[in-house]
Amino acid sequence: MSTEDKTPLVSVKDVHKVFDLGGHFLQKETPKVKAINDVSLNIAVGESFCLVGESGCGKSTLARTVMGLLKPSAGEIGYNGTRIDDLAHNERLPFHRNMQMIFQNPYASLNPRRSVQKTLEEPLRFHCPEMSNSAIKEKVEEVMVSVGNDPSWGARYPHEFSGGQRQRISIARALMVDPEFVVADEPISALDVSIQAQVLNVMMDAQEKRNLTYLFITHDLSVVEHFGSRVGVMYLGTLCELATTKTLFAKPRHPYTQVLLAAIPTLSCEEMTSTKSVGEVPSAMNLPTGCVFHNRCPFANERCKREVPRLRTLDDGAAVACHAVEEGRIES
Amino acid sequence: MALIEVKNLCVEFPTRHATLKALRGVNFSIEKGERLGIVGESGAGKSLSAFAMLNLLSKPGRIAEGEILFEGQDLSKLNDDEMRSIRGNRISMIFQDPMMTLNPVLTIGTQMVETLQAHRKISKAAARLIAIDRLNEVRIPSAEERLESYPHELSGGMRQRVVIAIALLTEPVLIIADEPTTALDVTIQAEIMSLMLDLCKTHNVGLILITHDLAVVSQVTQKVIVMYAGRVVEQGATRAVIENPRHPYTRGLMAALPQQNTPGKRLFQIPGSMPTLDAMPDGCAFNPRCEHVGDDCRNKMPKLDSFEGHLVRCHKAEELQIKGEKS
Repeated sequence: MSTEDKTPLVSVKDVHKVFDLGGHFLQKETPKVKAINDVSLNIAVGESFCLVGESGCGKSTLARTVMGLLKPSAGEIGYNGTRIDDLAHNERLPFHRNMQMIFQNPYASLNPRRSVQKTLEEPLRFHCPEMSNSAIKEKVEEVMVSVGNDPSWGARYPHEFSGGQRQRISIARALMVDPEFVVADEPISALDVSIQAQVLNVMMDAQEKRNLTYLFITHDLSVVEHFGSRVGVMYLGTLCELATTKTLFAKPRHPYTQVLLAAIPTLSCEEMTSTKSVGEVPSAMNLPTGCVFHNRCPFANERCKREVPRLRTLDDGAAVACHAVEEGRIES
Repeated sequence: MALIEVKNLCVEFPTRHATLKALRGVNFSIEKGERLGIVGESGAGKSLSAFAMLNLLSKPGRIAEGEILFEGQDLSKLNDDEMRSIRGNRISMIFQDPMMTLNPVLTIGTQMVETLQAHRKISKAAARLIAIDRLNEVRIPSAEERLESYPHELSGGMRQRVVIAIALLTEPVLIIADEPTTALDVTIQAEIMSLMLDLCKTHNVGLILITHDLAVVSQVTQKVIVMYAGRVVEQGATRAVIENPRHPYTRGLMAALPQQNTPGKRLFQIPGSMPTLDAMPDGCAFNPRCEHVGDDCRNKMPKLDSFEGHLVRCHKAEELQIKGEKS
């Protein structure tokens, strides 16, 4: 399972992202949102790397930073060994072709005034201007069929489709230019359970056929167990656990990972036990001192309030940022 | 007497081309303090049943047939004024998106006081006290300060708690919750659901929970209705339905949950999508997507029949039982 020794397809190195909120000109310090704090991770070819966390933990920001939609405040993004975050727009173009994105809400991400055919043709016309009309048509048809869409849908408009169908069209759009790397930002959370399965299957098939690498973002760990080969758990802009899917589900180390796992509803007929309120995520404008999770953590002690835990790699390859795990206060 | 009894509820939308039958014969009853789940995909008619019960159908939708007996009174026959004294008072509703439910330009306090004053003769100060009480009950910290907050200042989970607090203000006997946690994170979903369960128990309030997630229903409700294309396809005690689902659609919904599948393998999926109202297939509405389809299924609409204590609408229900757990 060790994929770390090869050159990773995508590497994120010590990335920070701070949003400046402007504020008043007389204010001494402008208010800032620290969306990502010192995150490093590598994604190898053929992996489905999942990023998990609650809303506001910075997982979408990280995805956008990787895609180049946002510039990191510090740190580096690498693709296939080349640093890409500081490239000029036209130097980036060949990379854009290899990196595509699927968005969360298929109702918002498809242009309502453009037919499906036009939507799907656009990436090709932009990235491969040398392609002939007939070749483009063929390509559209081929991709539509590969994601389980009827090619005759081309003449129709997005509003004529259901959520699941629209999401499959978005997937088709991302696959048009034969990318190597696809970022999927909560692609199934706006869909019904039964449709979620369809869309996940389409994505898994596409990976198998095209040898895709995914960065898959979700807040639902039950999906991750299916889809991911490796998982990163994020909390308030920090990576708190990084492990292979198997290890994470067999042995969740970080207390936050355990909270996330416990929250998955199961088909049990057992009445839901009243979970004690673990509180809400603090604001990223003033992060807690020490470990960002300490005010919701049942294992927190003085050290957690003071000192920021570093990501430490354990014997089985899982990396955890937690003092309690390190000191053996939590079984690991 | 049942708290609410819905008998043969049918809803239709007359259009220029045809009259679309969106809901065809839904029957159920809830006792005081009982919790019912309504499950199905988008467009199955689950929200529509709730809207029809509260006379909230948008034009040209209308109740074509059926009775909704709430404490013995038929809600479908009430005029707007009479309905208003029940809706939001005796029966409360919680909607999916709390940002859409709450008024963004009024403080939480104003909205809560307004709700109380609409239904009761009560002073502002007294209403505020009740509001604080309810906010405490839904475990909102520093409730008194929160009354002055605007909805945008709260997180999604907090907003949904406020909506629940508002629903509880008038001490209703029935709450209808339409996908209350769909817009929320999993962790918050678990908290909100267990909170609602606690509140329903302590106040002895009935609950109709509308959702597409069978797992949530299995942990919260006592009875369940599975709907498909405007019809009930399976109905009964939650435990009976979850442990021994007979309808292929119910089985499909359960099998499609990621936690029911072997990790890394393709997920079980129900092929295709639900037919639209103007293009219903002959026979059983589920037949084009069903793996057990037979000749009967293509020609005749199955009846809702009783099998081992719960109702199933399927020609093959008996056969499927013999095959046992398949997925």
